[in-house]
Amino acid sequence: MIRIENLTVQFGAVKPLDDLNVELDAKICGLIGPNGAGKTTLLNVLSGFITPKAGRVDVDGTDLLSLSPVRRVDLGLRRSFQTEQVVEDLSVYDNVLALLDHLGVARAEARRQVSKALHFVGLDREAHRMGAELNLYQRRMLEIARGLVGAPRLLLFDEPGAGMTESEGETLRETLLAIPDEFGPQILLIDHDVELILATCSKTLVLDFGQFLTYGPTADVLAEDIVKRAYLGVDV
Amino acid sequence: MTPPKISDALIILPGRYRTLWEIPVVMLILTLIAAFTANAYWISTLTSALAIALAARGIGVLYGLLGLVSLCQFALIGVGGWTMLRLGHGTGLPFELNVLLAGVVAAAVGVVWGAPALKLKGLYLALVTLMLAGAYQVVISATGFPDGGQGWLGRADAIQRLMLERPVVAQNSTRYLIYCAAWATLGFMAAEWLRLAKPGRAWAMIRKDDRAAMSAGVNLLVYKIIAFAFAGFLAGVGGALLAGSVGQLDGRAFAASESLSLFALSVVAGVYNWYGALIAGLLLRAVPSLLTDFEINGYAAIVFYGTALLHAIITAPRGIAGQISGLITRIKALLGRKTPPRQATRQEDS
Repeated sequence: MIRIENLTVQFGAVKPLDDLNVELDAKICGLIGPNGAGKTTLLNVLSGFITPKAGRVDVDGTDLLSLSPVRRVDLGLRRSFQTEQVVEDLSVYDNVLALLDHLGVARAEARRQVSKALHFVGLDREAHRMGAELNLYQRRMLEIARGLVGAPRLLLFDEPGAGMTESEGETLRETLLAIPDEFGPQILLIDHDVELILATCSKTLVLDFGQFLTYGPTADVLAEDIVKRAYLGVDV
Repeated sequence: MTPPKISDALIILPGRYRTLWEIPVVMLILTLIAAFTANAYWISTLTSALAIALAARGIGVLYGLLGLVSLCQFALIGVGGWTMLRLGHGTGLPFELNVLLAGVVAAAVGVVWGAPALKLKGLYLALVTLMLAGAYQVVISATGFPDGGQGWLGRADAIQRLMLERPVVAQNSTRYLIYCAAWATLGFMAAEWLRLAKPGRAWAMIRKDDRAAMSAGVNLLVYKIIAFAFAGFLAGVGGALLAGSVGQLDGRAFAASESLSLFALSVVAGVYNWYGALIAGLLLRAVPSLLTDFEINGYAAIVFYGTALLHAIITAPRGIAGQISGLITRIKALLGRKTPPRQATRQEDS
């Protein structure tokens, strides 16, 4: 569970996050809001790339903000980015193995975990191919596989479905839904695809201009007038 | 699309460390050809080329694997050469130990010189490292290289200047060429092993994106230091071998422009393959010698370097070695030798 208390991020006069308070208890939690709402800023705070002006973030009782970005990986935090970050001149296998290198996992166990993750996302047959040879869908799935090794506790996915076709998006949904049961982590998912959020996230947090708008069961949240006005641009 | 599936089957990748064993085979063949066919002039040229190729491999690590531009690697050859001459004349240590110590000292200097890379990238890092190469040029021009004299600088007067003794097993030029080839082979293999192992994956992540690397648990500071230390070590060993080849070193040969040429030719030759370093060493030493053979001023090589760099940037960003590698891949594909990964049960694997 992610507990966020009085979290404020300030750049000069701008506050991308302003006194945010919320407890994210869903196993797969959506994070939505219009552009500039502070979604990616929140992920950057959780990853350790932005130091907040004030506030506290606990993940399963651990004070996240006291840890360096690298130590957060040891804790089990995994992250994907809006722009995919597959390394072109590493093989698919090595792209995943690169994460386990720094977690002190024995070689045989590392191989078992990489194999399991690549099977899970359907890239086991591509393990020998270089990152540069993959299409966008495969790159996105490879980023997910990278998040599944090394006993993950919290996965932060920033628009994993961007650029996918309908059938690819369907597979992504099935994959995301299967992750908690098979690998155990909590997922915080940003995506502009409301259908993906509705299909995968039991609860959703909505931000608007860096402020908390609402949090609750996804279907209820999407039905709220305040969300339709702020996010969907619907006059109510 | 494949829905998620759970499997205990382990993935086996064929030939993961194959290139590691290609290096000694290729180096042995090339060295034997050179040793049995080259005249004394070309033996000397190829020996220098091998020494410089080690430094070029260091550039391959820094630029090819990590994406960092260091324009002071030729100066680090000088640091290795200075250390080798000082230890060789001032102590009774074995030649091989002195070579290693020269590498260690150059590695330490390389880490210090690489410190700006912890904050800088691209043009700014290039400028800072070029200025360091310029500073080395000023210092070494003023102090010169040790030549058997007394004191910390080890300078003798013109009459008493001594030549560095070669190792017992490589007293003549041909044997010394083979000796240098053995060192170069070990250096190339070490670099290749690093590329294929944990540091190589970390460097690739850093080159892709600092934040992505940190998100994968990569400690940027540690892995950049390892890269600069290793590149410095290779350059230092190259400098030590160069000192052993010539017996003395001249401060005028270590101008900052040499570091620029070495970097440019490393790009032309290809920084992504181990043999790119070998080609870079040959280009830097063999092209002037070839021009001299044809009674053309060796300095005309600079025009060739510039043209080759322009050509590489526009048409072959992976360099000559990259083109050779592409050709080999196409030939293998034609011969149907591309092997897909196979699945194995856990029992089979164990």
